Amino acid sequence: MSALSHIRFLLNHAIRVELRNRHGIAGLLVFAVAAVYTCYQATGTHAEKESWNALAWVVLLFAGFNAVSKPWADDDEGVRSFLLHTVKPQHWLLARMVYYMLLLGTVSTVTFVAFLLFLGMDHLDGWKAVHYYAGVILTSTALASLLAMIQALASRAGGGFSLIAVLGLPLIIPVILVSTRYGSDLMRGIEFGDTAHHLLFLATLSAGFSALGYILFPYLWRD
Amino acid sequence: MIMLHTLLQANPIEGFFFGSGKSMVVGGVAVIIILGLGLWMWRMEVRIQRLDEAVTRQANGSNESTTA
Amino acid sequence: MRMIQRSWKIGGIALLAYVLWTTFTVPLGPGLLEFRELEFRERNEAAFSAANTNRIETYELIGLGTHWTVQPEELRLFIRKGDQIAPLPVIDVIDDTHAQVALLLPDTLPSQAWDVLINHPVDGTLFLQNGLFVSGFVVDESARLPRPQFEERIADLPHHFPFQPRIFETIRNLMLHVPMWFTMFLLMGIAFVASIRQLSQKAGGSSLFDLRAEASVQVGMMFGVLGLLTGSLWARYTWGAWWVDDPQLNGALVTVLVYAGYLILRGSVEDERLKARLAAVYNLFAFVILMILLMVLPRFTESLHPGKGGNPGFNSYDLDSSLRAVFYPAVLGWMLLGTWMYRIRLQATQLNRKLHRLNE
Repeated sequence: MSALSHIRFLLNHAIRVELRNRHGIAGLLVFAVAAVYTCYQATGTHAEKESWNALAWVVLLFAGFNAVSKPWADDDEGVRSFLLHTVKPQHWLLARMVYYMLLLGTVSTVTFVAFLLFLGMDHLDGWKAVHYYAGVILTSTALASLLAMIQALASRAGGGFSLIAVLGLPLIIPVILVSTRYGSDLMRGIEFGDTAHHLLFLATLSAGFSALGYILFPYLWRD
Repeated sequence: MIMLHTLLQANPIEGFFFGSGKSMVVGGVAVIIILGLGLWMWRMEVRIQRLDEAVTRQANGSNESTTA
Repeated sequence: MRMIQRSWKIGGIALLAYVLWTTFTVPLGPGLLEFRELEFRERNEAAFSAANTNRIETYELIGLGTHWTVQPEELRLFIRKGDQIAPLPVIDVIDDTHAQVALLLPDTLPSQAWDVLINHPVDGTLFLQNGLFVSGFVVDESARLPRPQFEERIADLPHHFPFQPRIFETIRNLMLHVPMWFTMFLLMGIAFVASIRQLSQKAGGSSLFDLRAEASVQVGMMFGVLGLLTGSLWARYTWGAWWVDDPQLNGALVTVLVYAGYLILRGSVEDERLKARLAAVYNLFAFVILMILLMVLPRFTESLHPGKGGNPGFNSYDLDSSLRAVFYPAVLGWMLLGTWMYRIRLQATQLNRKLHRLNE
């Protein structure tokens, strides 16, 4: 089998396992929508630009974090030692990254749409919402590529959610810094072209996370 | 005006810090602290090395006794 | 051989003793604080309206640590914009730090905002950037002022630190704050190299390099926290807040948090060999990302820090010789102290392990 079909097989497997117990992903979406609804109750449809932006990113960050930090469906020693002899660890990491990108993309899309519906589009009309959405997707890509590695590290260390937070959050701060600034730039009416470099930086960060993970993952994975 | 006020407050500090020779006291205390730290670290290192030698000797000694 | 091993430690402590002594005892050089209109100025309306060519107003010049009562007649004041220079007459020297000046200027001026300069035989030439903002004059950029005799004077003072607006005496913190970060990066670099060597061993290798990485991160964290504390104090004085939104500060916070995560990760793994490997992987991952961040992120936004623009204090790291004479020894001294601490820490953990083995 070629590398690509390996990855596709692992990805298919992950998605099938995820969809088999539907309450997993449903729980994530309910969490996200409930968080958005809480924001709506607190601010109504007339949130200021700054609070809109802040709330949106807080909800997106924690919904995404929540999605990624639950243990991988078949994350035990037996499966690991089986996979160790059948697939290259890099392929396994890439499959996991792509899977997280899809998962986080779904969760953040739902969250973002719910946010637009509940809190109104006063500050994001027309193309601005699309540009904002591009930032959301790139942020969740960066989160996915970072957290795939961190999640593997934490599960190898036998730590739970708190270890993922401790290891992952410091490295996420820069991503959040850039995306909040990008969001507030869009809302303050700055032209897309003048703030698009933030998107470029997010993409660069994702690439950096992925490349580092690709290099280091085998050391993490082997016995 | 408020800014000016805060700026001018630097003046009495200047007189206080240098005019009364207090800067010498502060500098002296800092130097004594760093010398004390150095002395402490020095003794610590010597003690660790001595202990280390003792432990190694003991480990070797116990090995010899088991082989003998 | 033993002498060499000892001498760098003694040398480090001696350097730090010299640095701390000079840091606190070298006086601050003179500088200008304010050039302001006198509040109790009496407006002579008749003279004011009658004067077609000149307006006369009294201004007060306030210095810090200046010596104007020494040869008060030698105190000269100029205002400058670009290459245009105009002298202003000094009316009265009140004391060492206060003097009164008449604003005697032609009606048409090339600019409203002026730098203020003074010349004095003791203090040398002192500047106050944008110290004077005049109103009520006709502003014409093509206006030319008669060019007076002006040459910069060199201060006739004993060894002193340069005066920096807003920073004043806190310039001494330079010798404590900045070397903390340098030392931290040195120690994190040691940890980085140790982690690489830990991972590049063949399977079943020892975890000796892991112990090195751990010890240097522990000591480096201490320097990082000290850097944050000294920086926070300094920020409170110069920028008015304990914490400001600044890429440099964000980077520092992320760095400290990442290494805190590293130490927590070590604490949560029991198995010695697995711990060594996981910690090394996380350390490499984090260090490379930190390097990217600290290089790239500051370019995205304006920084308050020196040499990054937007800073009212130093405009760059162009330290003058009096600062350099203390700053470079300070960096070297703190680095030597940090390395020494790291070695002691490493020896202590190794001893601890030996004792554990012996007890088993």
